[in-house]
Amino acid sequence: MIQFEKFVLKNGLTVLLHHDQSTPMVVVNTLYDVGARDESEEKTGFAHLFEHLMFGGSVNIPDFDGPLQNAGGESNAFTSNDITNYYDILPKENIETALWLESDRMLSLAFTDKSLEIQRQVVIEEFKQRYLNQPYGDVWLQLRPLAYRVHPYKWATIGKELEHIEQATMKDVRAFFEKHYGPANAILCIAGNFDQEKIKEQVEKYYGDIPTSLKPARILPKEPVQSEYRVLEIRRNVPVNAFYFAFKMQERRDPAFYITDVLSDAMGREKSSLFYIRLKKELKLVSDISAYITGSIDDGLLIVSGKLSENVDFEEFEKEFWKTIEEIKAEKMSEEEMTKLLNKIRTSKEFQEQGLLNRAMNLCNFELLGDANGINEELGLYSLITAKDIETMASLILNKENCSLLKVKSEL
Amino acid sequence: MTLNRTKAPETQNIKSIEFVKPHVFDINEAVKLYWMREVPNETARLDLYFNAGSIRGKIGIASFVNGLLLSGTSDKTSTEINHQLDLLGGFHESGITNEGAVFSLYGLRENFPALIRVLKDAIAGLAFHEDEVIELIASRKQKYLVNLKKTSYLAQRGFQEKLFASSEFYSRTIDESTYEDVTPQELKRFFQKYYLNGLTKVTLVGNFHPDFTDEVIDTFGTWAIDQSPKFEESASNETGEFHIEKEDALQTTLRVGRIMFNKNHPDFIDFQILNTLLGDYFGSRLMTNLREDKGYTYGIGAMTSEFHNFGYFLIATEVGKENRQNALNEIKKEIDRLQNELVPIEELDLVRNYLLGQLLKSADGPYSMLDLYLNVEEQNCDLTFYNEFIERIQEIEPKRIQELAKTYLNWKDFSIVSAG
Repeated sequence: MIQFEKFVLKNGLTVLLHHDQSTPMVVVNTLYDVGARDESEEKTGFAHLFEHLMFGGSVNIPDFDGPLQNAGGESNAFTSNDITNYYDILPKENIETALWLESDRMLSLAFTDKSLEIQRQVVIEEFKQRYLNQPYGDVWLQLRPLAYRVHPYKWATIGKELEHIEQATMKDVRAFFEKHYGPANAILCIAGNFDQEKIKEQVEKYYGDIPTSLKPARILPKEPVQSEYRVLEIRRNVPVNAFYFAFKMQERRDPAFYITDVLSDAMGREKSSLFYIRLKKELKLVSDISAYITGSIDDGLLIVSGKLSENVDFEEFEKEFWKTIEEIKAEKMSEEEMTKLLNKIRTSKEFQEQGLLNRAMNLCNFELLGDANGINEELGLYSLITAKDIETMASLILNKENCSLLKVKSEL
Repeated sequence: MTLNRTKAPETQNIKSIEFVKPHVFDINEAVKLYWMREVPNETARLDLYFNAGSIRGKIGIASFVNGLLLSGTSDKTSTEINHQLDLLGGFHESGITNEGAVFSLYGLRENFPALIRVLKDAIAGLAFHEDEVIELIASRKQKYLVNLKKTSYLAQRGFQEKLFASSEFYSRTIDESTYEDVTPQELKRFFQKYYLNGLTKVTLVGNFHPDFTDEVIDTFGTWAIDQSPKFEESASNETGEFHIEKEDALQTTLRVGRIMFNKNHPDFIDFQILNTLLGDYFGSRLMTNLREDKGYTYGIGAMTSEFHNFGYFLIATEVGKENRQNALNEIKKEIDRLQNELVPIEELDLVRNYLLGQLLKSADGPYSMLDLYLNVEEQNCDLTFYNEFIERIQEIEPKRIQELAKTYLNWKDFSIVSAG
């Protein structure tokens, strides 16, 4: 059970406190409710570029990292299609340094033209390093627009193309901050060994005078129900044929989300999973196969990806793949199989939650979904799932009309 | 009173850190079990260390055997073993370095007694079924072919050859022939020698009853090595610049480094401080220049790594192909600057504070603390090393940093490898 306390400041900032006296550290985690899905299609990659700029100094403090390092701390951030998350980890005695820095960049930014120019370059190198200069690096750039036709999940957080990053202007950047970086659009979690007597006063001191903001309305197009099997084959200078099946699944807040999560585990989380046994161990068609979900807030994807064995062609593999899918739909899972899946989930959750930063980030994530206490209810939801639920879910979503397949074919 | 936001809050310096030693049990004269008992949750972890690193045996064999540890016994298939571990909610991973191999098992405390029995049976009875061997080698070969498409892999491989040039077994790298003519017999021989008689260390984290350590020792102790293994005493790198061309690359991977010492050397701690200043934190000289000023790269870092008897220093980055030479020039410029100018005291003070904060963090919790302990134990040091580290961080002066830069960071002593 993860204990926490929640309160909301007058300006709209949601604050979560999670006390843990066993650590000498404290984490200040700030989740902004903005991600790549909030970008316009002509200006993609912006939420992420902006994350870089958040380290370029704020209205009263020219340098973000220096003072934090000087306080023995470190900081980082990430952007997803749904959120942008910033965190600082530092010795508990110096918590005010993090509150000072984070609140000032929530108040107002003050980056320079140079910082925009440089971060643009840095992000372009990141784009190359992660997506273009790696074998199979561009698959998500290809798979997203295949699976999503309307919803902004059709582009990756890094952006649709380098040009969008190259064309970003200071005006765009300012407007983005104004719209998305107000206190009402943020969730702050302070976790660790803070002073319980003083903490609320400290939060009020640094965040209280930030002007009230309105939470921006989010009106995103709903992805229409897919009704045809989509297949895209691309040829790349890679040595091995690879496949990515993407099945549409529920949004994060749908109770059935958890069922699909367990279904994906049954299909391909481990070496004792259905696909691994059938397609790799028995039929030897693949050298590698796994299944997982994207876990996005809006309608997500259940992915089955892997690589073909040498001398196996796509046609033969696809035939057996769909045959296996039909078997999954037809056969109810045993009680033992269900126990196994739940045991794995319990272990991973226990390990995840032993990290202070993970706890802070998860509390923010659940608060964003509606209630931070979801972190304590999740395991109960998993344990209610029955074999029958899995069977029903398999029949509902594991269909060709609900699937997009990306094949990466070796040119060599 | 309104808040003066331009003024940084007061900070406190870390004066001391509490380091926790694991409980230590002798398995035999050469092999010990280290146990971290105080765990505030239900997680548990077991690590088995073996004298089965890549320097042992024919090239590639160490890695194949490590990958086959759960591939089946005379009465159980690999799938059955994996199913049993999964049913108990267990996770596992294994891997090798130059000087050793490790198998790690994670799970909940309540399942651990059963988990270690499954693991013991799987490894003790490992049969090297032919189809499993063929399958593993085919999939490793595929991974190798994919790796050849990565500039980071090509540079790392080239760097390893130059860095350990003086030592045949540390410098050797795999090629396609490594995947041919591997027989179950030679895998078995390696396994017999380096696993069933090659256990060098066992670590356990978890809030167990003390009797459980006996059970762990009874279960795995029979594999304990008779005497501590020997490792290369020293190594030297081949200096100079080496480029590996990859036509279609968009970026060039750079690896710049040299053979150094390990924790037993009197300059080790001071060099760590220099290393941090140069390239081991976000505000480092290299990050500030190559990323935050020039925008050449997404990231650049300097690091040190250690073996039983020596170590090495490395600067690693990926830059746009057009900036390869510019990046090397800037790296050299930053090193020259450390040799020719004294580090400003504010910058050194910041590094002091940063390092102390990081050390505090790396002593937080039983898992981190065990890692910290093992880092010194392997090189025959003990936890007093960290107290000395704290003292040196607090005391080191700019002049000493400059002196070390002049002694150890000379461009002509480096192996400089680029791929792209």
